Amino acid sequence: MKRTVIPIGPFHPIQEEPEFFQLTVEGETVVDVDVRLSCNHRGIERLCQDLTYDQIPFLLARICGICSASHPMAFCQACEDLCGVETPPRGLYLRSIICELERIHSHLLWVGLAGHFIGYNTVFMWAWKYREPVLELLERLIGNRNNYENFCVGGCRRDIPQEKLPEITEVMDEVQGNVEMLTKAVLDDPILKVRLGGIGILTYEQARQWCATGPTTRGSGVDIDVRRDEPYAAYNLLDWQVHVQPAGDVFAKTVVRLLEVLEAVKIIRQCVDQIEPGEIRAEVREMPQGEGIGHAEAPRGETFHYVCSDGTNYPIRYKVRAPTYVNLPSFKSSVIGQELADAMLTVAAMDPCYSCTERVAVVRNRRHSKKEILDQRTLMKLSWEKTERIRKNI
Amino acid sequence: MNNEELLSTLQGKLGQFAVEIVPRNPKRIYIDVPPEHSIAANRICFEELQGRLTTATGRDTPHRIEVLYHYCLDSCGVVVTLRTWAEKPECTLDSLAAVLPGANFIEREIQDLLGVKFRNHPDPRRLILADNWPQGVYPLRRDFSARRKRNETPEFLRELTQEVTSP
Repeated sequence: MKRTVIPIGPFHPIQEEPEFFQLTVEGETVVDVDVRLSCNHRGIERLCQDLTYDQIPFLLARICGICSASHPMAFCQACEDLCGVETPPRGLYLRSIICELERIHSHLLWVGLAGHFIGYNTVFMWAWKYREPVLELLERLIGNRNNYENFCVGGCRRDIPQEKLPEITEVMDEVQGNVEMLTKAVLDDPILKVRLGGIGILTYEQARQWCATGPTTRGSGVDIDVRRDEPYAAYNLLDWQVHVQPAGDVFAKTVVRLLEVLEAVKIIRQCVDQIEPGEIRAEVREMPQGEGIGHAEAPRGETFHYVCSDGTNYPIRYKVRAPTYVNLPSFKSSVIGQELADAMLTVAAMDPCYSCTERVAVVRNRRHSKKEILDQRTLMKLSWEKTERIRKNI
Repeated sequence: MNNEELLSTLQGKLGQFAVEIVPRNPKRIYIDVPPEHSIAANRICFEELQGRLTTATGRDTPHRIEVLYHYCLDSCGVVVTLRTWAEKPECTLDSLAAVLPGANFIEREIQDLLGVKFRNHPDPRRLILADNWPQGVYPLRRDFSARRKRNETPEFLRELTQEVTSP
């Protein structure tokens, strides 16, 4: 059969990470995929070597607009591992609250976009409407909807006043009701089950081989979560559980994310109940010579940071590993054999950048190199048409 | 598995290769492995200890380039780091990606940024650097400077620096 090469990406104004995908398709089936990263390399690891330990968290918050709590969190843990500082309990609870609020808004963002991709625009609008109060709450608590910049080595920079804690509970009540309704609607919907079930399957063995993390692996039955396996912040003081789904398809990943939102609500409620007034920051006088490793569970998976210090104010080597870096190659296992209409959804299920599919050139006839450009709208249409077909058949 | 058991397991399985096993603290263990044994040691970490390769870090030091493979042992929440090295100026090392697909990207990144050549890598193309970046210039080496070696910097960087410095 004739093979067609489809380049996707790399740039789109609204995507967070420019990436270049090249799909090879036979008819409608994807047979090969190639990924090219770093179309917009910012050199953050190198920049960190010229910044002091106090300045680095501000740069790291800008690695990702959504995970802007997890990266500084992992950095602070790497430094605390290096210098052996204990954060006071209030600092730990504050960290947990901010990390979980971040998880809620990130997962709701994803649910909305996934709904949009399959033509469920109601899901898109609802999920984003439910997300808004969380962002507004973060703004009231910390001063920013994103880029919280509240973490520093040894604890937190700013306290959440005790009288503002009831506000958190109020918003959590609202989020919980809405998300429970949304989860029930998703789990009971027969069309969604058919549309998302069985596509983009990543098996347990493949997830292990590609060393993937986060909801991508928990949807494949791999029971890992840094928050439980190596507890940081206040997670070991709270009662919560890790949600794992064995199926490995897009539906399983959706269910994992929705259940994680509810779990995050539960965690935040306990934090608000248990938090007590006190110090939020331990003083760090100097960085000793040596190496430190810190990792944290971001909404997309584990972020991993390594710091190497020579005893001065600046690290001599700093390494950042973001979750998409290991989740993305697993695309090679999950997308091959899929229909073109599902390829976009499979990428989206990993929660990397959604709009890589902004422009697609289909080379129908390579000899004359006549190109047909598929834009995002056409790809969306492909996906929506498939949902329509399923809806009619049910 | 508690920490002493883990340390004795590591000693038993990796003792034959390792130069040194250093537990910096109960959750962080660093193991020095000579380059000729690095693949065997990595396989033990991944297959027998059920570790998850989180990432690898390349580090430039005066006489060699160190490559640190970080494994998370999720069942006991410990990070085991295997430190191996590539001697300058050849800077070659056996590739782990041939055995473990998860190491594919990170080894290509280290190859781009630090110039370590990985033998038997299944896909040794560039990953990080632009296609028009000159051969043999490694931006994360400590002797790299875009400003000092003006003649060796790529075209686009040269244009940029001239724009800034011209009166």
